[in-house]
Amino acid sequence: MGGTQAKARCHILQRLTAPVLQSSALRIGYKNGGKTPKVIADQLNLQLNAGEFVCLVGPNGVGKSTLLRSLTGLQPRLAGEIQLSGRKLESYHPRDLANQVSVVLTSPISVGAMCVDELAAMGRFPFTGLFDRMTEHDWEVVHETLRVVGVDKLSHRYVHTLSDGERQKVMIARALAQEPRLLVLDEPTAYLDLPGRVVVMSLLHDLACGHDKAVLTSTHDLELALRHADRIWLMDDKGQIMSGAPEDLVLNGSFAQAFNRAGVLFDPLSGTFDTQNSGSKSVFLEGQGSEVIWTRRALHRAGFTVNEEWIPGSPRVCVMPREGATTWQLEHSGQTSAFASIYDLLQSLPK
Amino acid sequence: MSPQTKRLWLFGLFLLIILALFLLNLAFGSVSIPLRDIWGSLIGREGIKESWVYIIQNSRLPRVLTAALAGIALSASGLQMQTMFRNPLADPFILGINSGASLGVAIAILGAGFVGGLFLPALTLRGEFSLVLAASAGAGLVLALILLVGRWVQNPTTLLILGLMFGHATSAIVSILVYFSAPERIQAYSIWSFGSFSGVNWTQLNVMALVVLAGVGLMALLPKGLNALLLGEDYARTMGLNVGLLRFIVLLSASVLSGAVTAFCGPIGFIGVAVPHIARNLFKTSNHKILIPAIILIGAAVSMAASLIAQLPGSQLVLPINVVTSLFGAPFVVWVVLKRKRGATSFSV
Repeated sequence: MGGTQAKARCHILQRLTAPVLQSSALRIGYKNGGKTPKVIADQLNLQLNAGEFVCLVGPNGVGKSTLLRSLTGLQPRLAGEIQLSGRKLESYHPRDLANQVSVVLTSPISVGAMCVDELAAMGRFPFTGLFDRMTEHDWEVVHETLRVVGVDKLSHRYVHTLSDGERQKVMIARALAQEPRLLVLDEPTAYLDLPGRVVVMSLLHDLACGHDKAVLTSTHDLELALRHADRIWLMDDKGQIMSGAPEDLVLNGSFAQAFNRAGVLFDPLSGTFDTQNSGSKSVFLEGQGSEVIWTRRALHRAGFTVNEEWIPGSPRVCVMPREGATTWQLEHSGQTSAFASIYDLLQSLPK
Repeated sequence: MSPQTKRLWLFGLFLLIILALFLLNLAFGSVSIPLRDIWGSLIGREGIKESWVYIIQNSRLPRVLTAALAGIALSASGLQMQTMFRNPLADPFILGINSGASLGVAIAILGAGFVGGLFLPALTLRGEFSLVLAASAGAGLVLALILLVGRWVQNPTTLLILGLMFGHATSAIVSILVYFSAPERIQAYSIWSFGSFSGVNWTQLNVMALVVLAGVGLMALLPKGLNALLLGEDYARTMGLNVGLLRFIVLLSASVLSGAVTAFCGPIGFIGVAVPHIARNLFKTSNHKILIPAIILIGAAVSMAASLIAQLPGSQLVLPINVVTSLFGAPFVVWVVLKRKRGATSFSV
């Protein structure tokens, strides 16, 4: 008896310390009828730990969705193994799997007339019986997740009256109500405006570290991913995945390599992408504060290379911040003029 | 008033409407019978005109019960099809159940003409139960085909297109039969295709009631699954539901329900597509826990109302049911749909 108990305890311990998700020699793609299957990626050895927020990034069409669908069992894999909490994915009963993993998919949902709390309550499906009778505890979980996600004030609103960002949060609440160890999201920020994206990404980060869940999301918001992710899975068009802290991937050049295409450059200094139009003309910029940063961007867009030193003959821009009214001073071919806005400055620069 | 209380009132209201329609259906027809005597003949009181008792017990009571059952069955079938295909235009016949039934009946009525009564002597215009059998056979054949194909085809849209194409092919065969048939047989076929609640006797009604009960019973197991399908099959799967089994039960329930109605009453359009919309609009929800009881009540009421209007109270004429449902129902649904708030009841369209 003691032996089996110890074994069971050991088993539980193993489940708690094992990575939430682990793949070995995973091959994903599509079974192409009777023909040779279309392989999207092969030999993927991935690992995802509790408390970790991982962003899957990569150019369009490299197979990010296919990977997410394969990892969650929505799509059969071609070869290899996936383990969830130390157990093989296929050994899970669908209902038990739903207790481990929940998803937020990319397509916008349209459920018709349904209230926010009704929709979030669907996350309790794996816990309720045939007729979906919700216990008091079930409702507590639902209201708690709505609160965590920050939409508890909307719980009696109809879903179709919400903004895209609010609706996405409700979908995240629904996924959380499943009380999963792993939360997988496919481009959850796709339909959101910029503030909405920032909110969702930092929410996902908080869920991972504050609630000890593993959170995996695919995203096209590279700058946000760099800022919020604990780890990045960078997928390139050959189906290879580089894994590491965002900063590591920036510094070792993987980021630039995966995304650099004709005319687009990744700038490791600012962590942003830019078009490669900084050209022949150069300008000298001096000054301090946020005004200088934004002036540099504007000059860059206008096709200037911004120099740290003044080259005789090139224009010289001086930002002079003052209480209430910043002025931009331009010295060019012996003339000095002052402007009240960046827009006016750009208009007067030599084309 | 909270939404819950409002819904309770609506349920109560529809129960009253159904009761009223039940009595009105018994009262009106080619002869009008006073309400007092209706009650009397139902409980078998003495001293009521024998012909009235007979009319009520053997004509009007089966008719109104048939109407109620057909309304419930078509609405239940339509709701399931709309949810499963995530398409507001889906109706009980979208997978070709009625085409199958039509083909069965067409072969029974029209085909009998070709073989000169050699092989199908019993299938004459008077052989009403034979018509039911023929329609059931046709509907059953399509049902089997759908369930079989449904196991292979995973994509609901593909299934939908296959059903539509099957319907077209079947209609073509029916057209061939019509084209080469004698006028009186074509008329007999047309009359069947207009739909009617009148031709069902007590024996048939018992069979129909059992089948409808079974179909609705199956659907009653599904509110959770149907709600999950509102989010799409992927979500349903990640919530731990067996989508394959769910789809099988939905197809089985919806096909059996619509097949039974078509077999006993002919292909009755409109109710199946309209009632789920009326329910969603009145109850302001797409939650199947509320919609399922709602469409049962509304389906019965709408169908009984159609049956009453078809009798054209005060006249000797009787209209075909399909004419009534479409002529009176279509403008009503147009009004409902135009009145609704944007996005409130639509699926992904």
